[in-house]
Amino acid sequence: MTLYILRTLLKMVLTLFAIITLVFFATRMSGSPLDTALGDGLSAEDRALMIEYFGLDRSIWHQYLAYLRGILEGNFGLSFIERRPVADIVAERIWPTLQLLGSALALTLVVSVPLGVVAALWRDSWIGSAVMGLAFIGYAVPNFVIATFMVLIFAFWLNWLPVVGNGSPWHFIMPTIAMSGVLIAALTRFTRNAMLDVLGQDFMRTARAKGLPETIVILKHGLRNAGVTVLSVLGLQIAGMAAAGNVVVEAIFSWPGIGELLVSAAIMRDYPVLQFGVISVAFAVVVINALTDIAYVVADPRIRMAKG
Amino acid sequence: MKTLLMTTAAALLASSALAQSITVGAANISDYLDPGRDHSNVGSQFYYNSFDTLIDRDHSKLEPEWVPALATEWRLVDDTTMELKLREGVKFHNGEDMTADDVVFSLNRMYQATFAPYVVRSKDRLANFAEAVKIDDHTVQIKVERPEPLWETLVSLQQVMIIPEDYTKALSGDPDVAEDGDFEAFSLKPVGTGPYAISEFVPGQKVVYSRFDEFWGDRAPLEQATVIRIPETASRITALKTGEADIVTNIAPDQLDLINADPNLKTEGSATALFHVMIMNVNHPDLVDPRIRQAMSMAIDRDLLNEALWLGKAIVPSTHTMAEMGELHMPELNTFEYNPEKARELLAESSYDGEEIVFDAYPVYYTNGVLAAQAITEMWAEVGIKGRVNVTEQWTGASPDLMARSWSNPMYFADPFGSFGVMWAPNGPSEGSGRFNTDAEYAAIWERFRFSEDVEARKAAYVELMDRIKQDPPVLPLYRPFESWGMHKGIDWAPQPGHIPYVLDFRAGAIALADS
Repeated sequence: MTLYILRTLLKMVLTLFAIITLVFFATRMSGSPLDTALGDGLSAEDRALMIEYFGLDRSIWHQYLAYLRGILEGNFGLSFIERRPVADIVAERIWPTLQLLGSALALTLVVSVPLGVVAALWRDSWIGSAVMGLAFIGYAVPNFVIATFMVLIFAFWLNWLPVVGNGSPWHFIMPTIAMSGVLIAALTRFTRNAMLDVLGQDFMRTARAKGLPETIVILKHGLRNAGVTVLSVLGLQIAGMAAAGNVVVEAIFSWPGIGELLVSAAIMRDYPVLQFGVISVAFAVVVINALTDIAYVVADPRIRMAKG
Repeated sequence: MKTLLMTTAAALLASSALAQSITVGAANISDYLDPGRDHSNVGSQFYYNSFDTLIDRDHSKLEPEWVPALATEWRLVDDTTMELKLREGVKFHNGEDMTADDVVFSLNRMYQATFAPYVVRSKDRLANFAEAVKIDDHTVQIKVERPEPLWETLVSLQQVMIIPEDYTKALSGDPDVAEDGDFEAFSLKPVGTGPYAISEFVPGQKVVYSRFDEFWGDRAPLEQATVIRIPETASRITALKTGEADIVTNIAPDQLDLINADPNLKTEGSATALFHVMIMNVNHPDLVDPRIRQAMSMAIDRDLLNEALWLGKAIVPSTHTMAEMGELHMPELNTFEYNPEKARELLAESSYDGEEIVFDAYPVYYTNGVLAAQAITEMWAEVGIKGRVNVTEQWTGASPDLMARSWSNPMYFADPFGSFGVMWAPNGPSEGSGRFNTDAEYAAIWERFRFSEDVEARKAAYVELMDRIKQDPPVLPLYRPFESWGMHKGIDWAPQPGHIPYVLDFRAGAIALADS
């Protein structure tokens, strides 16, 4: 067990190291901040001066080793543009994104789990088909389409909801729905499938045979078992969303989050911000993955035995 | 009852204060605020509310008219020295008095720059300025290397706005020495002498201006102005409708009707003092023959682009000149023309053999940029040039593979030197990027254009420069784009004609709110 956890952690560290290396070199291959921050063009002499100012005059290996050393010391460098620690900049932006992800997660759970259960229980009736039809549509409609229509209806025409920033609870309504649209659709489908798997199991028949009321059978024995699968899927979906899915929604609602930050850092070639941003998101994904692995082992003795 | 009355009174007071506050939704917000190192179009929005120069101009007028600002009077002591009397009783936003030392420090941080971003900025426009010297507590002298025909223009630049010396030096490291770290820290906590203090700055997201009660000039009309970033055009327009923003920036011409159709909203706009240009790489093997580039230029019907993309509201120039440049405005020159027949002829005489000419364009940076690029390649096809648009986020202007691309030539200050002169100087950014060549003759003409003290001599030299550009073209100014701002009808604001592009001027006389 301990060995397994250690191995998982080691794997996590190696993955992060690979990502850091990849991000470091990929950002540098994608273009230079000189061309974006000073896009008007520079004389050759000025160019040399600015390259030195940004610390890009040393060899790329020197920069790479300096960067790794910095990370070990907890120093992720200064933004080229803002000239302040990237950790400060990311810290400013990560909280609004986490808030939005949190509210999207909550909405997703509240809506999709009951819907999935309903779709599984009434799988042969029109109710099941209707739920699955909606889920199918929800899955196919990109979040920016949902967002744009909501803005048009609830802000532009009806003037009910604000569209800019995260200043009040009202500001959360549209971005949260836009963010969770695809998640709800996906999770409803997963919940339904997981429930269907569970419904046919022996322990369900046993529970019914014991004379338990159907509600208890479904909620306590059915959903609880299906829940393990559902939660792990949700974790990965959320991690994916943190990495990329929020960029468009944040742009539409001028949400001061990390997605927007990463896009502008990528355009400006602000390497330190881009690196730290991508690494933070990668870290979140890797940690969620590792925790999921470990949770499996803790939850299911058969996996523990097999992985030893 | 008394409590109720007091609460009501307080609420009334608060709402009247609120009525003097506005929110601006801007497409972009600077990542740093330092008038010295900045010359971007994003940055130019923000400085004029909070910083002053020694000499200012009357921005309500198109033609330059110099007015006292932090200096109350100025005169030339000799050919290379200007002496300025400083205004007394001026305070910085942090409460310190402005002294001659602050002025000398601010000017010399550019004139004798050591901080790399200042060095770069000062070289292209302030290279002639040697130093500033304190004469007494209220007098400074500015010394130049050679007699300067553009004294007032170059003393009123954004880059030489006045900042506090002691405050800046103490921001990092040794409080008695100006280090790079001080200037970097300043750009996150900027302090000036203008009518609004910057009370909050979140890089890339928010700038909050608060009225500075100790301002030396006319009292700021607004209690507070908050500029927030709303990157999407549709979101900016929606925010204007919902009342989340009172003014929004960067509205494209095709969106104007959407705003004007609302009885509570209106738009204001002007042809910005900036050219969208097409640049051509004179050193690309396929484009070395100047006749090919002349043909590329003559094939383009810029009036048609203006009609189709800007509803005719942009300004198409006959030469690289702008009305803001006063005596140096020379619309009579005919450097750039639409002449498809001539283009065909030139092409036939030239070495052009059907090679594909790639036009690089940023996807969104320039309004209508990609559409213009597509139309241009279609117009090329009409005269027999095979063109292709390459949409890219990369700045390819310094690449030897560059053939043609979109760019802009802003008017950094109201003189041809502030537009053409900065971009196309010998050893300037264009030559430094390897896509433009100058020779001794060009340099000699440029010298006469830059330094002749007689206006006619400067004009004559500029004519020669434009002729050189016509014969061997590296650039074609397409138009001055029409830039618009949307706002509530109760706001009386419009871009002032005497400003450089994009300035959000909320000073007295520039903005007024209706009482309602």
